[in-house]
Amino acid sequence: MWTLFFQQFLNGLSIGSVYAIFALGYTLVFSILGIINFAHGAIFTLGAYFTYVLMGGSFGVNGLLANAAFPVDLPFALATILSSTLAGLVGVAVERIAFRPLRRRRADPLLTVVSSLGVAVVIVNLLQYLVGAEIYTFPPDTYGGLPAAINFGTVAQPIPVRSVQIVIFGVSVVILAVLTYGINATKFGKAMRAVAEDATTASLLGINVDRFVVLTFFISSFLGGLAGTLVGSSVSIAGPYFGIAFGLKGLAVIVLGGLGSIPGAVLGGLVIGLVEAFVPADYSAYKDAVAFGLLFIILLIRPQGLLGRNFMQKV
Amino acid sequence: MTDFFLTYGFLLVSMLLGAMLGLSLYLPLMAGQLSLASPGFYALGGYVAAILSTEVFQVTGTFPIPLLLLEMLLAGAICGCLGVIVGIPALRLRGIYLAIATIAFVEILRVLALNLEITGGAVGIFAIPQPFQTPIGYLWVAGPLLLLSSFCIYRLERIRAGRAFTAIREDELAADAMGINPTYYKVLAFTLGAILAGVVGALSAHFFNTWNARQGTFDASIIYLTFVLIGGTRTWAGPVLGGILFTALPEVLRAIADTSGLPLWLAQFLRDGRLIIFGLLIVVGTLFFPQGLVTPGLLKRRQRGKRSSSTL
Repeated sequence: MWTLFFQQFLNGLSIGSVYAIFALGYTLVFSILGIINFAHGAIFTLGAYFTYVLMGGSFGVNGLLANAAFPVDLPFALATILSSTLAGLVGVAVERIAFRPLRRRRADPLLTVVSSLGVAVVIVNLLQYLVGAEIYTFPPDTYGGLPAAINFGTVAQPIPVRSVQIVIFGVSVVILAVLTYGINATKFGKAMRAVAEDATTASLLGINVDRFVVLTFFISSFLGGLAGTLVGSSVSIAGPYFGIAFGLKGLAVIVLGGLGSIPGAVLGGLVIGLVEAFVPADYSAYKDAVAFGLLFIILLIRPQGLLGRNFMQKV
Repeated sequence: MTDFFLTYGFLLVSMLLGAMLGLSLYLPLMAGQLSLASPGFYALGGYVAAILSTEVFQVTGTFPIPLLLLEMLLAGAICGCLGVIVGIPALRLRGIYLAIATIAFVEILRVLALNLEITGGAVGIFAIPQPFQTPIGYLWVAGPLLLLSSFCIYRLERIRAGRAFTAIREDELAADAMGINPTYYKVLAFTLGAILAGVVGALSAHFFNTWNARQGTFDASIIYLTFVLIGGTRTWAGPVLGGILFTALPEVLRAIADTSGLPLWLAQFLRDGRLIIFGLLIVVGTLFFPQGLVTPGLLKRRQRGKRSSSTL
């Protein structure tokens, strides 16, 4: 009993921490622009595919790029950094195409939401057109020489935890620490917070707002791509649409934590990860609805989320 | 002519159904609420009809049309009730929160439909009895239904409730200050959309012959949203036009792809890249036609043009 509890707790922490870094991508963009980037889920998918390709994985028989493969196979760590950077660059392109023109025109935020949805549809279906809808699995030795599971208990009472989960948890914690430091303790983070607080005032004070928006999109999409790689390598890439489903769950995470709140995104991710881990096996079919059920409940009791601020609405 | 109707009957009815689904998303949008719940209510309405016609009414042979209408009524009523229940808490939320809450609603319904026994699980419900011999027969129900719903929404835009919707869309707090109860009107708009989606779902379940959890997904939300956004978000004619055009688009693309002389890659892209084109149209549409193709100004200009030409 205790063993199972501990095991599920670690699993929950691990998946929860991926939710957290993925949701942080949403949160960063939201805190600066007040807009949810619906293309974030598609970026997540892209990250996973990029890593798969950079590690020398080849494609299936469907799609334009059938059986093609990248000539070099990079080690996992390098491939992850490269693919997340690529995902970040795609995010910058998304900002240029779908966000900036509308921002220049001061368009209704809902319109921007819709155009980001459009970008997501394009990316996902382009992927499907190019590489087909197959499931891609990372090679078994993805994480180098790590054993499949690590025992946290004693020999007599083993508590095995997949080492993938530990890698994911470790990477997520490091990323969260770096990000928290960057935003709270550097001059650069201060400028970013200033833009988030009030873009007009920030620009009057000599901060180049557009540059920070681009940078925010880069960091956000970097995190999205990284989350995609981590999830894809621990389970598998279940076709181009898997990021969309994950993206919807990410929305539940940020609303649960409070839109625009960075600690909120982390807390929301961990809560949803843990709750999902403790769904009884008999009801595992309903697991995907848990996050949305939680979201609905939180919207009823506390619409601003667990750690969100309540904004005054003015005419 | 008969040949034409037999060949394209399925497509024609689909186009009308698409137009009505566009309208069901347009209704909450009239009050400025981006709700993506339509596919959820559409799926629910379909399940109501599918379960009633296969389990409750034991009919052999052709399915009687009055029963079909009864099912549509029931589906509308059930979706309407659920719309009020979901709408009242969800519509306290503004803007993006509502969109997210409705996405959550659609996802919960989808997971339920996938796992409950009564909905047939992942397989769904099939062999739903047919009231008509050929797909084109459904035109007798879908056509009047579209005319009726378009007319109702056309009228709605010109009465007190519709004006209240517009006021809320332009500025909710100002409307509130003017004595309009925003929650009441937002729930009204949302519920009307839910009823329409449910009725269309009930008809579609018979029309498609099978019904499963794939009918109500996030993808479907985006497709209906495209109908409205590209068609036009400011008048009833927009979603109708958008729904008709975009449901026909895959067929049109296939026809273009079949013309000889096209390079092979282009033909293949036109056939398989339908959703890529959809996505591009959404992006381009929001950038260049923020109010959609059909705008009230466009309609007025035409009317004025007609009037002046008739006096001359």
